[in-house]
Amino acid sequence: MNDAHKIVEQVYAAKENVRAADDLIRAYLPFIKAETAKFLKRPPIEGQDDELSIAMMAFHEAIGGYSRARGSFLKYAAMLIRSRLVDYSRREQRHSRVISLDAPIGEEDATLGETLADDRDPHEETALRDATRAEIEELTRQMQEFGVSLSDVADNCPKQQRTLDACRKALEYAKGNPELLDDLLKTKRLPIGQLATGSGVERKTLERHRKYMVALLLIYTNGYEIIRGHLKQVMKGVAVR
Amino acid sequence: MSYLVMECHPGYAVLLDEEGRFLKAANLRYETGQTVYDPVLMKEMPERQRHTVRWISSGIAAIAACFLLFFGIGYYQNYIQPYSSIYLTINPEVQMDLNRQGTVVGLMGTNEDGETLLEGYDGKGKDKVTVADELIDRAIEMGFLSEGGRVSFSIDSPDEALFREYGTELRTKVTEHLDGRITITIEIMNHQDGQGQESPENSSSSIPSQPSTSQPEPTSPSPSEPSHPVVVPPTSSNATDYDDTDYGPDNDGVTDYTPPVSSPPADTDYGPGNDGDTGYTPPSTSKPPADTDYGPGSDGVTDYTDGDTDYDPDHNDDDNDGDSGYDDDDSDDDSDDDNDPDDDD
Repeated sequence: MNDAHKIVEQVYAAKENVRAADDLIRAYLPFIKAETAKFLKRPPIEGQDDELSIAMMAFHEAIGGYSRARGSFLKYAAMLIRSRLVDYSRREQRHSRVISLDAPIGEEDATLGETLADDRDPHEETALRDATRAEIEELTRQMQEFGVSLSDVADNCPKQQRTLDACRKALEYAKGNPELLDDLLKTKRLPIGQLATGSGVERKTLERHRKYMVALLLIYTNGYEIIRGHLKQVMKGVAVR
Repeated sequence: MSYLVMECHPGYAVLLDEEGRFLKAANLRYETGQTVYDPVLMKEMPERQRHTVRWISSGIAAIAACFLLFFGIGYYQNYIQPYSSIYLTINPEVQMDLNRQGTVVGLMGTNEDGETLLEGYDGKGKDKVTVADELIDRAIEMGFLSEGGRVSFSIDSPDEALFREYGTELRTKVTEHLDGRITITIEIMNHQDGQGQESPENSSSSIPSQPSTSQPEPTSPSPSEPSHPVVVPPTSSNATDYDDTDYGPDNDGVTDYTPPVSSPPADTDYGPGNDGDTGYTPPSTSKPPADTDYGPGSDGVTDYTDGDTDYDPDHNDDDNDGDSGYDDDDSDDDSDDDNDPDDDD
């Protein structure tokens, strides 16, 4: 009873704090593994079975979706893990006739993937990845100044296409008025009023997605070339409209 | 669609898609900065709001269903379910089923002529009076009803008040409808006891030269003949012969009073019909009348003695056997005889 009370408190803390959530997932990894093993009918291997990752994601989802009204947290989490694993296995059934690149071939330790000719330069790729990582780390640091983390942004991201388009419209306006972006960096505050009047987007929409707008505008300040390159679609979409 | 891995957590990874969405997905051994193509995205959080919406909508649906059911039942009972019936008899017999509002919900010919009369006629949804008027018109047209004919409405209704209301309404309205065109006799009956309730009345009051049926014509009670529904036998609880009053100037001199016929006239010894025979029979008893010494029937003999008394003050009886009859301890034939009152000897 006391344990149950403790975990509920931990879950509620994890809802607010990303680090607490990570800690909780780590602490309950044995539980997640056990649930996955029940599904796989064998113990999952960490770092190899996608199912374990899916189960961990389901556990994270359970933290977000849990409320006291739903009863015992662990039962809820177990239920969610099971459903997500079922979803995943159904999704993967479509690829059941596809051979894994990681499947071993012959008696050697080599895998099928290694036998394929790779037209990509692994060194270049590693360099690109490092550069991207550096950009992302910089972005994360800058976002922290606004009190925004990437996990928050992911939670705060517009779900509807219409809202996403509205946010893009506001971004387009900000790009056309670089002083807005300078203001943002200087004051560390999102100029919602100016964005709303300038772009014609509902103020309420921008307020609701403040964290997302912060991330989006920061990406379009300076630097972040690689991320911007990845986001080519964003501007394409606006240009078409 | 490619996704840029922005952040990695043990439980999930934050990905950025090409359209600028930040998404959470299963961390399938991703590294920050990696580009991935087929992530397992996290399902959207079950939002509380949606549940409220669902709750509210399902609640509204439930309430709406209740309302529909409630009003549906009400509507059905009021408008669709037959509540009362009117059997129209000219020669064609027609059954009209009415709802609570008095609207016709069903029409049926109960004999061959009735079916002929109803052929090509749709009276559903019309008021009973309209239907009755139209049916009578049709009957006249088809030659079922002619001058001096008789139309009988037999009303089958669950309560007396409704029967009376319908009866009055039908009679007045149909009379009005036929006024001046044809003279017929309208008869209202209660279907439940199959006996006439209201006196036949001339539909056209403007023509006084009607046969005597235009006036209430009391006859002897004849329950076997419902077509002459004038006199109401007192046994019928529904009998309301209100038109036939014996008070006032319309008194027809006949009280219609019939003494109850449940038992033969009592043989009374009071009054002039005394036949001198009281018919009194003393209650017969299994035993012969007691030989009482009280009252006028005394025979002067007290019979007190059982012939075995020892009391003899006059000394004229030698019966004194010296045995007092009192016995204290030993059983004796005499004592047995003397003390037993039932032993009559």
